[in-house]
Amino acid sequence: MRNIGAVLIGFIVALLLLSMSAFTVDQREYAMIFRLGEIVSVKRTPGLYFKMPLVENVRTFDKRILTLDWGEPDRFITSEKKNVLVDSFVKWRIADPAKFYVSVRGGDEAQAQARLAQTVNDGLRAEFGKRTIHEVVSGERDKIMEILRQKADKEARQMGIEVLDVRLKRVDLPEEVSESVYQRMEAERKRVANDLRSQGAGAAEKIRADADKQREVIIAEAYRDAQRIKGEGDGRASEIYASAYSRNPEFYAFYRSLDAYRNSFKSKSDVLVLQPDSEFFKYMRDAGGRK
Amino acid sequence: MASNDPGWGSRNNDGPPDLDEMLRQFSRKLNGLFGKGPSRNQPDGSGSSIAILPIIVLIALIWLATGFYIVDQGSRGVVLRFGKHVETTLPGPRWHIPFPVESRNIVVMEQVRTLEVGYRSAGEEGTSRGRELRESLMLTDDENIIDLQFAVQYNIKSPEDFLFYNRDVEAAVRGTAETAIREIVGKNKMDFVLYEGRTEIAALAKKLMQDILDRYKSGINIVNVNMQNAQPPEQVQAAFDDAVKAGQDLERQKNEGQAYANDIIPKARGAAARLLEEAAGYKVRVINEAQGDASRFNQVLSQYEKAPEVTRRRLFLDAQEQILSKVSKVVVDQKGGGGNLLYLPLDKLMATAEATPAQGTSTTNTPAQSAEDSNAQRSRESFRSRERESRP
Repeated sequence: MRNIGAVLIGFIVALLLLSMSAFTVDQREYAMIFRLGEIVSVKRTPGLYFKMPLVENVRTFDKRILTLDWGEPDRFITSEKKNVLVDSFVKWRIADPAKFYVSVRGGDEAQAQARLAQTVNDGLRAEFGKRTIHEVVSGERDKIMEILRQKADKEARQMGIEVLDVRLKRVDLPEEVSESVYQRMEAERKRVANDLRSQGAGAAEKIRADADKQREVIIAEAYRDAQRIKGEGDGRASEIYASAYSRNPEFYAFYRSLDAYRNSFKSKSDVLVLQPDSEFFKYMRDAGGRK
Repeated sequence: MASNDPGWGSRNNDGPPDLDEMLRQFSRKLNGLFGKGPSRNQPDGSGSSIAILPIIVLIALIWLATGFYIVDQGSRGVVLRFGKHVETTLPGPRWHIPFPVESRNIVVMEQVRTLEVGYRSAGEEGTSRGRELRESLMLTDDENIIDLQFAVQYNIKSPEDFLFYNRDVEAAVRGTAETAIREIVGKNKMDFVLYEGRTEIAALAKKLMQDILDRYKSGINIVNVNMQNAQPPEQVQAAFDDAVKAGQDLERQKNEGQAYANDIIPKARGAAARLLEEAAGYKVRVINEAQGDASRFNQVLSQYEKAPEVTRRRLFLDAQEQILSKVSKVVVDQKGGGGNLLYLPLDKLMATAEATPAQGTSTTNTPAQSAEDSNAQRSRESFRSRERESRP
């Protein structure tokens, strides 16, 4: 039993020593080994490491990409002296933990971010001051972001920080300016609406006028053709009459005159004043027909 | 340690555990770690340790059992040995060397997550949507403000990158979504963003987001960017609606014009057709009439030529008869009266004639009788008295 007890105690002591000297470095972090406050080494690759118990201690730093994001947008002035509200974020990570620890007191991330924010803000102010709103919003957005990144990166290197990206999130107009933008937009829409309406009226009028024209043309053409057809008929009829009547013009005159008389005097309201010595009354006076 | 395992609680539908595979994995890992000899917890044969041995074995077994884990379908297990990434495991039951040697992270990979920008859908019912004006209002290239709401759907394409390279990836996705959409919108005109270019904007934003996230090695895959709503801000909504309405008015007015055209042109064609048909009818009519008249005349003429005198006289008398039988007549013999002034009240005569249009036949005799009288006055009176007599 004493044997087993000794083994147990030995085992526990070994475990204790192991736990004090062994440490792991995660995939996501750097580990820095201090010996009595002095940086001895920096472990960059993950795995199991050992240190001298009690004398050495370990501190880890995040290796991942961190985000610096302002909660509230800041006001900047553009070259045409207009205010804009700008919101941005910075992607950064610790590149050199030793330098970071030394230059940022205690390796405090919050402090590093405050300094970084200062740098980026200064950069934003400078770049915005050189450009108009339009350039900031659309034309040179990429360029500004790249300039800021380079600038921030250069300064941050001194803190052992690498700046991967500076990105503009919101570039907005302040409330009071927005109001006038809305008014302008409204006026512009009204213009568009009026334009469309008068275009519509114009187009409709054009269609109507065209329709009227077509109607006139159709009727006129039809009239022309109708008259031509009628003329053909009249011509043909004249031809027939002429060829028939020319056989005996004298008889035609007589025959036609009788017809005409017949047609002229056919109503009771026509009054004929006759003399009894007309041809018609020849036998009425005298059976012999003598005068 | 497991930081990202929403599906960890539901270990189901994995089928029967593959025990062989697990045991092989188990022994391989043990050999890999303590490769030299027999494992520590093997009994050394001393009789006195019999009481403790089972306890040690039991503890060891429990310890080993904590290494089992299940990777759900659509997830990956990422195993770290002393903090160093050693393997990524596929779905199924798995084992790793227990704490403190190895640790595992389950990453739900294929499940699509949704990120809302510019609005927040309210709970499961989704009845009311909260709008986030700060996120949704943005400037366009032509310095107009638009209200854009969109949803980003994403999943994880690389669990290792997702775990190792970024702190708080979800926030990074949100930030990236905002910056990307604003950059794209800032480069385009308002009308394009609001109307014809919506899908294109979404596609561009998706690509830009993916580029940025790849640059951060975030392990995120953007599945889709959905434009929920692209509209002008509330303040100017009415004017925009009116402009849209004006566009429809334009169409309506055109249609009305077209309707007018469609109304009158066919009518005109109809009228034209009528004119032509009437003309054609007229033509046929006059020709036929001419032919009829000519034929009639010809036939009379041929008979006339056989006996001109008689025919002429007959025709003359026929015509006289017909005419005189119809009209009112006054026979006046002026030779007898000499220079007397003859008074004929024609208007009265005609008025009488009109009053009795049907009496035409009854007066036929009158001229014959009055013709006997040489006195015009008497003749008229007699005519009038006859008229009176014949009246019913």
